[in-house]
Amino acid sequence: MKRRNRWIYAGLIPFIFMIAAFQIAPILSMLTGSVARENGPGITFGFYAQVLQSSYYLKAITNSLLISIISSAIAIVIGLVCAYSITRFSPKIRDLLLTISNMTSNFAGVPLAFAYIILLGSNGVFTLLFKQWGWDVFQNFNLFSWSGLILVYVYFQVPLALLLLYPSFFGIREQWREAAALLGAGKWKFWSTIGLPVLTPAIFGTLGILFANAMGAYATAYALVGGNYNLLAVRIGSLVAGNVINQPQLGNVLAVVLAASTLLAVYLNHKMTQRSRMFNGAPSSEPVRAHKRRSWLRPAAPASAKEELS
Amino acid sequence: MIGQAKKAGWVNRSLMIALMCYLLLPLLATLIYAFAKEWQATVLPERWTLEWFSQMFSDARFIDALWTSLYLCAISVALSLAVMLPAVFIITVYLPKWETFMKGVVVLPYAVPGVVAAVGLIRAYSSGPVSIAGTPYILIGAYFIVILPYMYQGIRNSLLTVSAVDLLNSAELLGASRTRAFANVVLPNIWPGVMISTLLSFSVLFGEFVLTNMLVGGHIHTIQIYLYQRLGESGHLASAIVISYFVFILALSLILMKLTQKMNRGIQG
Amino acid sequence: MSAYLELQAIRKQYGHTNVLNDINLQIREGELVTLLGPSGCGKSTLLRCIAGLADIDGGKIILDNKDIVNVPPRSREIGMVFQSYGLFPNMTVSENIQYGMKMRGASKEERRKRSEELLAVIDMEDKRNAYPQQLSGGQQQRVALARSLAVQPKVLLLDEPLSALDAKIRKSLRTEIREIQKRFQMTTIFVTHDQEEAFIVSDRVCLMNKGSIVQEGSPEELYTRPKTEFVARFMGSYNVLTKSEALRLFGQVENQADSFAIRPESVALLGGEDRQSALKAGKQIVDGSIESVSILGSIIRYAVNAADVRLTIDVLNDGRPLRQTEVGGISLALDRSQLLPLEKEGA
Repeated sequence: MKRRNRWIYAGLIPFIFMIAAFQIAPILSMLTGSVARENGPGITFGFYAQVLQSSYYLKAITNSLLISIISSAIAIVIGLVCAYSITRFSPKIRDLLLTISNMTSNFAGVPLAFAYIILLGSNGVFTLLFKQWGWDVFQNFNLFSWSGLILVYVYFQVPLALLLLYPSFFGIREQWREAAALLGAGKWKFWSTIGLPVLTPAIFGTLGILFANAMGAYATAYALVGGNYNLLAVRIGSLVAGNVINQPQLGNVLAVVLAASTLLAVYLNHKMTQRSRMFNGAPSSEPVRAHKRRSWLRPAAPASAKEELS
Repeated sequence: MIGQAKKAGWVNRSLMIALMCYLLLPLLATLIYAFAKEWQATVLPERWTLEWFSQMFSDARFIDALWTSLYLCAISVALSLAVMLPAVFIITVYLPKWETFMKGVVVLPYAVPGVVAAVGLIRAYSSGPVSIAGTPYILIGAYFIVILPYMYQGIRNSLLTVSAVDLLNSAELLGASRTRAFANVVLPNIWPGVMISTLLSFSVLFGEFVLTNMLVGGHIHTIQIYLYQRLGESGHLASAIVISYFVFILALSLILMKLTQKMNRGIQG
Repeated sequence: MSAYLELQAIRKQYGHTNVLNDINLQIREGELVTLLGPSGCGKSTLLRCIAGLADIDGGKIILDNKDIVNVPPRSREIGMVFQSYGLFPNMTVSENIQYGMKMRGASKEERRKRSEELLAVIDMEDKRNAYPQQLSGGQQQRVALARSLAVQPKVLLLDEPLSALDAKIRKSLRTEIREIQKRFQMTTIFVTHDQEEAFIVSDRVCLMNKGSIVQEGSPEELYTRPKTEFVARFMGSYNVLTKSEALRLFGQVENQADSFAIRPESVALLGGEDRQSALKAGKQIVDGSIESVSILGSIIRYAVNAADVRLTIDVLNDGRPLRQTEVGGISLALDRSQLLPLEKEGA
C-alpha cells in the first residue's frame, strides 16, 4: 500500500515544478529585487524611499487608487441594482441576460479601448454626432482623460460586479421576505433591515475583487492613453520595455506596491466569503440548493476578473 | 427568493433594456464600423463594405498572428491538462489535506496582476542559469499560471460531482488496476467538465494581452498584439479584427454554455 | 359559537388546475385547527392565502368581522411560522423577536420587556444574543414561534413547523406548541401531513385532498367515523374492503355502500375458549391464517388472510406469547357494528 502510494505521488512533480518556477520564483525574485542593492550584496530600502519621495510615482499610486475606488464603487451600485433586477425575470430571460453580461465581460482590454475610441474618441461617432446636433454636454468630455478612463473602467467592472453579486441574491430566502412582511415590514424596510445586511459580506467581497481588477488593469489603460496617463500599472509597464527592465529596482518596488494592494483586496474578498458562508450556513432549503448547482461554473465569474488582471 | 416565474415590472424591464444597451453599444459600434465604408457624423454609415474583412484575411501578418495565438494557446492548455489532471486527481483523492494550500495557490493568480507577474518573471529569467526571457517558453509558463485557477476548479469540481473516490474504489474492487481504473472509469466521467475548463482556459488565453506584450511583445505577435499594432493604422481594419476575434470567443462560449447545460442536466437526471 | 376567522368559498387556480375548490371553514377564537393532508393537497396554499402571501381567485376571508382579502400581509395582523424557520440570519435571537414590534413602532423598553417574557416562555433566555445559525433546528423554530407571538397576532399560522426536525424534537416541540397556544389562547391554524401530529395538537382537524376539505371534525370523530375511502386510508392502518370482500367476511351487509372500512383493533384474534363467548356476543367468526407479525412497541400487528381478504389486525402487546405464522388456522371475531360504510369520493 505504502509503496503503491509513493509511486502515485510522482504525478505531482511536474505540477510542483511549474508552480515553483512560474508562480513562486517570480514573486520571490520581485521581492528580493525590490530590496537588492544596485551593485553588490546587502539589503536596501532605498528604492522604496525613492518611490515614496517621488511625487511622480506617488501621483501614479494615488491615481490608481482613486480610479479603482471610484470605478468599483460605481460598478457595485449598478451591479447590485441590476443583479437584483435580473432575479425578478423568468428563468429563461434571466439566463439570456446573464449570458449577455458574461459575454461583455470578455470584452475588455485592447478591443474595449478600441470600441470606445470609435464611439467617443476625438473622431468618434458620438462625438461628431453630438457636435452636429449641437449638444454641448459632451463638449468638454475627453475620452483620453480621467473621466474617459473612469467611463471605460466602469464599463468592464459592471458585468463583473453583476455576475459576482447575482448568486448571493439567491441566498436571500423568500421566507425572510414573507416573515418580514407578516411582521409589518414594507419593501424598503425589508431591504434596509434584512436584505442589504445579509448581502453586505458579498458586497464587500465583490468590492475587493473589483478593486484588485481595476488596480491591475493594464491593457485597457495602455491601449487608451498609452503612457500619457499616470497610472501605477502603466508606470510599471513602461519601466519594462521589451523584456528588459530599464530601472529594474524601481519596477520591482512599484510591482510590490501594486501586488500588496491587490493582495489586500483579495484577502478582503476571502474574509467576506467566510462571513457570508456563516449567513448561509442555516439549514438548507430550495433556493440554497439551486444556488449551489449554479455555482458549478463559479470559477467562470472570477474568470472574467482575470481577463483584466492579466 | 427565486422560484416561480415572475412578471417583471416596467421598472425592471426598462432598467435591463438600459443595461443591455450600455453593455452592447460598444460592441455594436465596433460591428458597424467593421462593415462601414466610412462612418462620420451620421447615426448609421451611408455605405457598407466587406473590404476590411478581405483586407484582414489577405494580410499575411494577421494569418501569422492567428496561427501563433492558436498554437501558443493550444500548447499551454495541453501542457496544463497534462500536468493538472494527475495532480488535481492525486490531491483531491489522496491528499485532501493539501486543499487549503491549493486554494492559496489558485487564488494567487487573481491577486497578482499581470504586470506584476511579468516584472517578476522577467527578473527571474532574464539572466542566470535559465535565461528564457523573450522566448515562447517563458510565455507558456506564464500562461500555465494564468489558467491554473480554471483548470484546478474545473477538474476538482468534476471529480467531486462524479464522486471519483467511490468510482475508483468500486473499479478496484472489481479488479481493475489503479491506473486502468483512472483511465477507464474516472477520466470518461469527468471529461465533460474538463472540456469546459479547457475551452474556458483557451478563450482566456486568446484574449491575453498584458503578459504577452510585456514578456515577448517584441518578437512574438499573437492576435492581441497584432490588433494593438493595427489600432493606429486603420480603425475599420481594427474593428474587423475585433469582430472576428469576438465571433470566435462567442462561438467558444456558446459551446461552453451548451456543455454546461448538458452537464447540469446530467447531474440532475 | 361565532366564528373568529371565517373562510367563505375560497377558490384558487394555477392556470387551469384548481388548487383550492370552494373552501369553507369557521374557526372560533382560541381554537387550534389543523389542516391535514398529503403533499399537494392545497393545505399550505390555503395557509398562504390566509396570510396574504398568495392571492385568491374567489371567496372571502373574514377575520374579526372584517374582510381581509384586500389587506396587504403586513396589515393583516397574522403571524406565521415556516417549515424552515425563516429567522433573519443577520439578527440575534432577541432582535428577531423584537423585529415585528420595531416595525410597528413600539418603544425600546416595551420591546425589551416583551421579548424577555417570550424568551422565558420558550425557555431560551440564555440564548438571547445568539445568532440563528448557532442554534439547533428545534431552538430556531421556538424563536420563530416567539417572533410571531411577539406582535400578538389575531391568528397564528403554522406551516409544517415540525417537518424539518428530527423525530425526538418533533415530539417534544409539538406538545410545547400546544401548551403555548393554550396559554395565550391563540387562534391557530396548523398545517401538517402527519396524522399523529394532527391528532395530538388539535381541537379540530380538517382533512384535505385535491384542494377540498373532505372531512372535518374532532380527532376522535375523524378516526372513528371516516366518511370516505380516502379518509379511512389516510387515518393509517384501516382495513378498506370492497363490497364483495365485506360480503365474504360478514355473509351479508345491510348497507348499500360500495366500500367499507374496519379498524384493525376492532377485530379480535380468538383463542379456543373465547370462541363461544364471541358467538354469544353476536360476533361473526371467520377462519384464517397469519401471514406476518410485526411488533410496534405496545401493539402487535398481524397480517391475516381470511376468506381471501387480507386484513391488518392490531392486538395489545400484553405479554402473552406471539402467535406465529407457521401456526396456520386461527379464528377472527368480527363485530358487524364496527363495519363502516364509506361514501364515494367527492360525494
